[in-house]
Amino acid sequence: MKVITNNPLVKEWLENVIDVEYIDCSYREILVVVRDMVHKGTKLLTHPLAGSVKPNETPYRSVIVTKHQGKKMDMESLEIIENSIVTFDKFVQKDIVWVDEVLYDFQTVDAIIIRNAVYSAIQ
Amino acid sequence: MKRLELGYVNIKDVQFADKSEVRDGVLYVNQEEIKAIVMEDETIKNVSFDIARPGESVRITPVKDVIEPRVKVEGPGGVFPGMLCKPETVGSGRTHVLRGCAVVTAGKIVGFQEGIIDMTGPGAKYTPFSKLNNFVMVIEPVDGLKQHEYEHAVRMAGFKVAAKLGELAKELTPDEVKVFETPNVKEGIEMYPNLPRVAYVQMLQSQGLLHDTYVYGVDAKRSLSSMIFPTETMDCAIVSGNCVSACDKNTTYHHQNNPVVADLFEQHGKTLNFVGVIITNENVYLADKQRSSDWAAKLAELLGVDGVIVSQEGFGNPDTDLIMNCVKIEKKGIKTTIITDEYAGQDGKSQSLADADPLATAVVTGGNANEVITLPKMDKVIGTLDYVDKIAGGHAGSLAADGTITAELQVITGATNELGFNCLSAR
Amino acid sequence: MSKIRIVHYINQFFAQKGGEEMAHIPAEKVAGKVGPGMALEEAFKGEAEIVATIICGDSYFNENLEKAQKEIIEMIKEEKPDMFIAGPAFNAGRYGVACGTIAEAVKNELNIPVLTGMYIENPGADMFKSKVYICPTKNSAAGMKDAVSKMAPLALKLAKGEAIGASCEDNYMPNGIRKNFFDVKRGSARAVDMLLAKLADKPFETEYPMPSFDRVAPHAAIKDLSKAKIAFVTSGGIVAKGNPDHIESSNASHFGKYCIEGINDFTPENSETAHGGYDPVYANADADRVIPLDVMREFVADGTVGALHEYYYSTVGNGTAVASAKKFGEAIAEDLKAAGVDGVILTST
Repeated sequence: MKVITNNPLVKEWLENVIDVEYIDCSYREILVVVRDMVHKGTKLLTHPLAGSVKPNETPYRSVIVTKHQGKKMDMESLEIIENSIVTFDKFVQKDIVWVDEVLYDFQTVDAIIIRNAVYSAIQ
Repeated sequence: MKRLELGYVNIKDVQFADKSEVRDGVLYVNQEEIKAIVMEDETIKNVSFDIARPGESVRITPVKDVIEPRVKVEGPGGVFPGMLCKPETVGSGRTHVLRGCAVVTAGKIVGFQEGIIDMTGPGAKYTPFSKLNNFVMVIEPVDGLKQHEYEHAVRMAGFKVAAKLGELAKELTPDEVKVFETPNVKEGIEMYPNLPRVAYVQMLQSQGLLHDTYVYGVDAKRSLSSMIFPTETMDCAIVSGNCVSACDKNTTYHHQNNPVVADLFEQHGKTLNFVGVIITNENVYLADKQRSSDWAAKLAELLGVDGVIVSQEGFGNPDTDLIMNCVKIEKKGIKTTIITDEYAGQDGKSQSLADADPLATAVVTGGNANEVITLPKMDKVIGTLDYVDKIAGGHAGSLAADGTITAELQVITGATNELGFNCLSAR
Repeated sequence: MSKIRIVHYINQFFAQKGGEEMAHIPAEKVAGKVGPGMALEEAFKGEAEIVATIICGDSYFNENLEKAQKEIIEMIKEEKPDMFIAGPAFNAGRYGVACGTIAEAVKNELNIPVLTGMYIENPGADMFKSKVYICPTKNSAAGMKDAVSKMAPLALKLAKGEAIGASCEDNYMPNGIRKNFFDVKRGSARAVDMLLAKLADKPFETEYPMPSFDRVAPHAAIKDLSKAKIAFVTSGGIVAKGNPDHIESSNASHFGKYCIEGINDFTPENSETAHGGYDPVYANADADRVIPLDVMREFVADGTVGALHEYYYSTVGNGTAVASAKKFGEAIAEDLKAAGVDGVILTST
């Protein structure tokens, strides 16, 4: 498995444990990157909207997917990621410049959720 | 047969006083005494207290948890099992409740901490906590404390204070006593051979940091789906560690006064046989979701129930668990009704849930959390308005110079509760 | 305060001019109220009056769509009304569609509030419930009293510009816009009630109907295409030259079945499209763009495909009610099965 993320803290915490693909981009772009991977046969391992922090608050998003592409597109993964993008788009985006302290809070919440999921996966 | 008596002591006011006691329906609190309990935790730098009564021009924010003071009078165990005392099985004997008041914990746990309780005005209609006499604690951590340590400190302080205030009602004669009885499976079939057997599937928020629920002190995400007697929830066996999504998070108060449990008990022995509560979680790892929903359905099957009510907590990812639970249980031939809330956009035109299935034919909604509301200025703010511009449902400019807040319903604690605590709905 | 001025639209039947035999009559305007307008005005209790009634035959309206709309809008405009009401149409299909069409046109062009009423299964309901407020009514004119009791209060609210509540509060068909309201019982009690009804097989109403996915499980794959008989079905409106079955350019009421034996290629001489709502130039010039007959013939010739069914089936998807489309699909499927067709290529526009 590997993590697709725009959260620097996930990279810092997890890159020695599992593959981390860090992309410097927006929350939505992460969802789109993951969708494109799903089209090519990658499966989702965590829910793309993990955490109830609303998608127009946190700028960070991490999704765990399978490392290797399957031969066939996984329909369940596709439905989940497409629904997630639809859900993202209905939130009015806010033009807030967060202070570093709050950004760090967002990073931490995302990173701990993803770390928990990694624990779940390796149990 | 599991039997619990709840003795309600009605509280019509809360006041600061030299001696902590309950007298003539008034809860008197000695601040110094309570402060000493809170300050036992070395991670807490300071705590301040305040009182917010129904109808007062007061806004409490950012709210973390709301807790009802209770005390175990007879029977095994104590309130908040696994948290404040041994994880001994509760839910039988007698428990006293300070009805009409609550301990509200507030504090900036993360920079985007959410939750507003308005005690009057249009916002008050949406939160059940505007009807309570609230003893509010604003808790400040020592410098450099990590978010999860801070969450832990505030959570535990709330429980300790609620238990302490609950103690004051231990020797009192309640204003009302209600009895709740759950027969075991065999007794139930014998007692109500002709009534449909109904279980309650309660989904517990368990996504991770700041999205946690504890059952007898155990983090729900580390547990398989399981079963409890409904009366155990009344003795605080399930408590909230959730700080996210104010409108549809289940506070500890919601768990103590679970409305699905109450309304199923209301019909128990009349139109249905309330068999028990299946608790399951809302993890983020898809394999966990699969397993937990399989187990919830399996337990319903094993109980041989005819119908279940499924309730939810939180936004987005839990929609998937909700639909999985519903579909898997329906496929066992068991009829379901699900309770959720909606994120249909500010204009109400978007698809409401992040997941859906045609088998979900009976849905109860707590309303559209994206609907915009204007909250007028209050004379007094307990906590801070610093974050209103930034919390979920707020936006830059939400907080006007005159103190008015224009934001989505999401900002209000308990507004679109997914246990069905409120009358709010949508069409 | 002066009374709210309302113009009312009804069809030939409700104007007591006659049934189907009078459905051709063109739009006319009479002063004051006619037929159901009486009951409506009574229900307004003096707050509003019907200043004029437009009477129009259902066939005339539907067959002269643009012309009729234009005439009627002009008639309404002259009255300078505050509000426009059409119907109620109950389960009369063409009347319902006319009510919806004209109400939407008035709303858009004259910018005044509009309201209509009809039975939930009236094709006009599906087409217009997200565009204009529609009160759900019973399925026959015997439900007039009930219809008026729902329409009159909502009409007054709309005319006065008051805030409209949730669909169940103000009695209109859910229009896809979710609106909060405070119910009498709390959610958990509603859930218990709903479950009890469901357990007893009694009717209950979900508070959030799931988005409708009419999913059909795919048929097993065709193993050997070279032995299979394939047919064409389209909602792109390709018909034989001259549209012999008179398939409507929108909200089609039927489908056509056309023989293609001996035809190897569609040309402007042998085919055209009946479809409205898109520029038909390219479809008319070469209908193979919608039904790839020419390529299919090549595949049959070289043995890739076993055979092509001698008929193709066509209707117009433009504004056609889902319920109608479903009926067409079922009928076409029966025919295909009887003809031993193994697979179908579905095309749309």
